[in-house]
Amino acid sequence: MAGITFKNVVKTYDNGVTVVPDLNLEIKDKEFVVLVGPSGCGKSTTLRMIAGLESITSGELYIGDKLMNAVAPKNRNIAMVFQNYALYPHLTVYKNMTFALELAKVPKDEMNRRVQWAAEILGLEPYLDRKPKALSGGQRQRVALGRAMVREPEVFLLDEPLSNLDAKLRTEMRSQITKLHKKLGTTFVYVTHDQTEAMTMGDRICVMKDGVIQQFDTPQNLYDHPCNLFVAGFIGSPQMNFIDAQVKKADGGYALCFGDVEIVVNKPELAAYEGKTVVCGIRPEDFHAEQQFFGSGNVMNAYIDLDEMMGSESYLYLEYAGQKLIARVPARYAKKAEENIELAADVEKIHLFDKETELAI
Amino acid sequence: MDKKPSHARTVIAYIVLIILTFLCLFFFYILLINCTRSHAQIQHGFSALPGSSFAKNFNNVIHDAKLPVLSGIKNSLIVSTFCAILATYFSALTAYGLYAYNFKLKKPAFIFIMLILVMPTQVSAMGFINVITKMGMLNTLYPLILPSIAAPAVFYFMYSYMQSSLPLELVEAARVDGSNEFMTFNRVVLPIMKPALAVQAIFAFVQNWNNYFLPALILQDNSKRTLPILIAMLRSADFLKFDMGKVYMLITLAIVPIIIVYIALSKYIVAGVALGGVKE
Repeated sequence: MAGITFKNVVKTYDNGVTVVPDLNLEIKDKEFVVLVGPSGCGKSTTLRMIAGLESITSGELYIGDKLMNAVAPKNRNIAMVFQNYALYPHLTVYKNMTFALELAKVPKDEMNRRVQWAAEILGLEPYLDRKPKALSGGQRQRVALGRAMVREPEVFLLDEPLSNLDAKLRTEMRSQITKLHKKLGTTFVYVTHDQTEAMTMGDRICVMKDGVIQQFDTPQNLYDHPCNLFVAGFIGSPQMNFIDAQVKKADGGYALCFGDVEIVVNKPELAAYEGKTVVCGIRPEDFHAEQQFFGSGNVMNAYIDLDEMMGSESYLYLEYAGQKLIARVPARYAKKAEENIELAADVEKIHLFDKETELAI
Repeated sequence: MDKKPSHARTVIAYIVLIILTFLCLFFFYILLINCTRSHAQIQHGFSALPGSSFAKNFNNVIHDAKLPVLSGIKNSLIVSTFCAILATYFSALTAYGLYAYNFKLKKPAFIFIMLILVMPTQVSAMGFINVITKMGMLNTLYPLILPSIAAPAVFYFMYSYMQSSLPLELVEAARVDGSNEFMTFNRVVLPIMKPALAVQAIFAFVQNWNNYFLPALILQDNSKRTLPILIAMLRSADFLKFDMGKVYMLITLAIVPIIIVYIALSKYIVAGVALGGVKE
């Protein structure tokens, strides 16, 4: 078992494009870390550098305490699950799983034991003699997982393993992988662009953009304390609302003004922004239609452009003071499209960002 | 949209196909018929029915002291089999090298191989004979076998096949699984390449089986000669002893191995070997 450490790692491709400018990251032993970000943010490249499938331009990569820069993939004791499965099409499920074990000269009994164990966990027992083309997408994905499991590797790498599955299967596999991590007690590095996967599976999430780590923290902390506008916007669905607000001095702190709203917050940090505009981030569920949240100045009368009824709650697409907002309110408080609704923001949960640096205040 | 092809069109299509089939197979039929007829019968003209001289012709061919048919078949088999194996294996290996790896001279290497492709054998034949004479390989089978390692046409076929059927993720998966590069090629790439290997093995076998030009230049001993040279020798034998039945019999004997090789290898020519490996 091993942790993974990136020290000032740079990745520049032959065509001169730098995908990862300077990466410092420490993944602890037995941790489940999710690398998440929009496509092209360098998360897959980072994963492939751990696997040894991409060379490292400069910097150092350690697995455990061993420097891995010049170690070939086959000597790294890692297992990887590919986005498109990458099963050996000419081999049966059993042979696919034992391919690596045969190369490692694992005794036959041990090999059988491990395949049986993995097949049992993944429900692949009836399919061991089949070739990949006779399997469904979900089954193939499980074979790919099984192939990695039987290796008993130090590090498990997963590159968007669920993106080819349908929604139901994805949810099911998500919990299977989480359980698997608990059972195996191995370091997992999981790449995805799906923030739901990131939030539900990771012990810690590393949000990346343009090859730069934006924030590396637990899911709860990412959600509650995003360090900049990008993370705030990326984590959470529907997305956080960003409203430009004027800062004014008021009794008991500073008032954030937009439209007719003046929300007073007690944040001494805002002193430097007095008279300036800041970005005010409010999550859709932090708008409330209940009376107890209404305060003086903290009520906005917004026009509902569109409403989406989700059953227990309703997504309201609002227009207020020239800005588009989304609110997520319990169904019984919701109103229909083309009506007006009175909403108040939860003052405790307002996030503030510097408009220029985009960093959290 | 769903218009059925008209009756007349179908009829015409069938007639054309029947004529083409006839043109292809008729000569095989004549060959098979004539190898059962005597020289005199053959000179008489065409017959649709077989004659009774099959055994006689066969004996004449096999027991001709001047014509070492059995050693000719053996030599042809050795040359063609090794050529087929070497050409397909090493071309696949070369194609894999250029397909799966990135290195500085990749493009020039590819262009160089393509340039060799446009060079006819005849152009370099004299130089080639000079070289092998100096190497002491004249009148041996080696100069017919060894050069097939470099087969640019086969290489190009393999390269194209890899582009369409060999996802690099499989190679990466094998690497992560602990396989070294050579093992990856032998255990993952080659099995996926089976249809291409079979096609090219058939081509290489047939091409070398029928090859006359180089063997005629290189092989001088009767015992070293391959079948096409023997057939040519038989046809150019002196007029008084010329036996058409014998010629037809030798040609018939010469095509049997090709048919066997074709039947044996064609079962590997199937679509979808790589199916199901990666999600497209």
